[in-house]
Amino acid sequence: MIELQWLIPLLPFLAALLVHLLGGRMGKRVARLSVGINLLVVIIAAFQLTAYIAGDTGPQWMDLAGGWGSLQLDPLSAIMALVVSGISLVVHIYSVRYMIEEPGYGRFFMLLDVMTGSILLMVMAGDLITLLIAWHLIGVVLYFLLAHNTEPPTAQRYAFWTFITYRLGDLPLVLAAVILFQAYGVLDFPTLFERIAEMPDVRTFMDLPVTGTVAFLIALSAFAKSAQFPLHTWLPYTMEGPTPVSALMHAGIVNAGGIIINRFAPVFVHSGEILHLLFVVGLVTALIGSVLMLTQNDIKKSLGYSTMGQMGFMIMETGAGAFALAIFHLIAHGLFKGTMFLGAGNVIGSARKHDGVPNDPLYDFLVERKSAPARLPWLIIGAVTLIVPLAILVMAHAWVAEDFFQKQGAIVLLFFGWITGVQVLFATHRLDTENPIRMMALIILSFALIVVGYSFVGHSFETFLYPDAAFRDALYTAAGIDAVTFDMLVILLALIVVLGWMGAYLTNVRRQRVDEGHGNTRLTLYSLFSREFYVADVYDRMTVSLLDLSKRLNVWFKWS
Amino acid sequence: MSGLLIIIAAFFLPLFPASLVFNRLAAGIANPFARLALFAVWPQIGVALILLGDLAPAGPVLATWATLSALFYAFRMLTVREVGRWAAMLASSAWPLVWLFVMQEPTAANLIAFTLAMTVAPALMLLVRDALARRLDAAYTGLHGGLARDLPRLSGVIAVVTLAAMALPLFPGFFALLAVLSGATLGVALGILLTWLLWSWAGARLLQGTIFGPRCGPIADDLPRSSTWLVAGLVVVMVAAGLIWTGGAV
Repeated sequence: MIELQWLIPLLPFLAALLVHLLGGRMGKRVARLSVGINLLVVIIAAFQLTAYIAGDTGPQWMDLAGGWGSLQLDPLSAIMALVVSGISLVVHIYSVRYMIEEPGYGRFFMLLDVMTGSILLMVMAGDLITLLIAWHLIGVVLYFLLAHNTEPPTAQRYAFWTFITYRLGDLPLVLAAVILFQAYGVLDFPTLFERIAEMPDVRTFMDLPVTGTVAFLIALSAFAKSAQFPLHTWLPYTMEGPTPVSALMHAGIVNAGGIIINRFAPVFVHSGEILHLLFVVGLVTALIGSVLMLTQNDIKKSLGYSTMGQMGFMIMETGAGAFALAIFHLIAHGLFKGTMFLGAGNVIGSARKHDGVPNDPLYDFLVERKSAPARLPWLIIGAVTLIVPLAILVMAHAWVAEDFFQKQGAIVLLFFGWITGVQVLFATHRLDTENPIRMMALIILSFALIVVGYSFVGHSFETFLYPDAAFRDALYTAAGIDAVTFDMLVILLALIVVLGWMGAYLTNVRRQRVDEGHGNTRLTLYSLFSREFYVADVYDRMTVSLLDLSKRLNVWFKWS
Repeated sequence: MSGLLIIIAAFFLPLFPASLVFNRLAAGIANPFARLALFAVWPQIGVALILLGDLAPAGPVLATWATLSALFYAFRMLTVREVGRWAAMLASSAWPLVWLFVMQEPTAANLIAFTLAMTVAPALMLLVRDALARRLDAAYTGLHGGLARDLPRLSGVIAVVTLAAMALPLFPGFFALLAVLSGATLGVALGILLTWLLWSWAGARLLQGTIFGPRCGPIADDLPRSSTWLVAGLVVVMVAAGLIWTGGAV
């Protein structure tokens, strides 16, 4: 079975070679060759996943010629191979017609195939060098894909931003690999992780712990690849590239951070502090991404910041110890965001055909901000809004795992689930409808269905990805903090959130303008949001200063 | 290690300020073949001095000096526009890393292979320089941009050679850097990684100033098919040699 695994990354590389060699002879038909080979890859990936689930062999590993150059077949690689190849196939099929009038049609498919092969190699890599090669290739190929239209300066500028950020993310992983090799003397993952489990306290440079240092470096790599603050600036600006590339990037490439963290879970399980760092960076990224998404007037940038926010949540989940959930999240987000990008053209097309905005209560409520007068007693609304989502979440999670509430990470996720549920009810209780009770009941039912479905699927997914219950618990334990501090934090956050809701409610009831009495604060926030926290400006200024210094040095030394 | 030999070798495996000599020499040679020969032979003289003199592994001071030299030239590459000088600075940034590899006490064959791996990209860049100068009368980045539109084959070659200059996989530079990193201390490793990042930055600027952007400059013929296949063959040989070499070096 493992022998078949080699075909999954190699076939796309073969497709790229054939597209390049036969491009002149076959013309535009060469795209069909690429699609056909990618379809074959999806079939093999699906077969491998099914065979892995049905079989009883456990994870397998195989090298090509002794040394580096190996692949593995384990739950993470099996599921991700299917997801990546599936999304890539959809993007290929979409591109056949979408790119038909673009110059460099064959080159585009060649690059798309190399990118697919690189991502597949990354998710299935069985040793450090193979992983590094794939990790580097992804950034390089993405640069050429984003710069596919070679002429517009803006496309080149943002392709460069992406490339240099990815390079920044490549190098910590190189150092992590070097440290692991120096400390444990092996390259292949199975032996490496075995040795880490046996000797987790080995020290490296400056007497630092190997596991903590490596986890930190991998986290840095993941931050750059997955657009975590402040290494996020490339993501919202990369819409200049072809739409299929945006779809592939937002649905697949940007998830690399979550995948690499999961791949090195045996390292992170010994690095609690780094898990806390992941949580904080993820949280900050989710907040900033969401805020900037809401304040953009450019729909594409808004989608870019939406992805940034989602990536923040994904990293935050790993920081809470919910490694499998991060994979579940990135798959769900990938499918959702890919669909949005590929469907954007149709939406714009139909909007052009049917001029005029819809005029219904939902539109009035969401866009025009016209809400109906409250028709239910606020105490009942408040109680239902706060308690029902919590009850649904607690019951659903208790059903799938009795010990769920002993894990701090799980409580954090419950907390976010509760906020989401309350927010939905809070935001919709003033929607203009004939029967408000029926509407609330339907919302609660939908929420319950989603939570129950998600809890069941999420739990099954976690058991599949990390079958060892002790290891799963160890991840949650490593992510945990002191119980008293944790409880205080949860109470504090709950209070802040509830006070925020109350403030919003009272403002709405009194029909007070949001900016009344907060002129300066509002102006400052407006400046920060509209300049996207000045992060890109700071980078620009730094770049100009560095280039100026380089030029001065060259002049001083007469270009020798 | 003999002080005098180190000083002499520092000119051939250039450490700043001795590296000024190599850069002036490279800029002064007009004949492309002579320049290519200089790039091929110059660092190997340094390697020969190390091997013949049976020099003991370099100490921390030399390691720091080599790392800073590599970093210094990588940083200066960012704003060099003449492709020939760019190649010379890449060599001046790459060759000091040989000193760091010496500290791992490699075999003679491995040391020569490492130096070759660090020489291939600057040497190939000289070919690019020559191809640009012949067609556009000057090999300056940012002067005649947008070549990808009219000269796809030459642009492809520039892209591949620049990727080799950035030491990206699967080019020999990538494996050479992994080899030198595997025995480096933290400070040296950080210096090497920063140098690597600067190569990437400089390489991306070179690509943006040549193949990308709106087309401007004189009309020129693309690279002949035969030359393109020759370069492709060279690259394949180079990659294959790198892959075979890593069996013993990493």
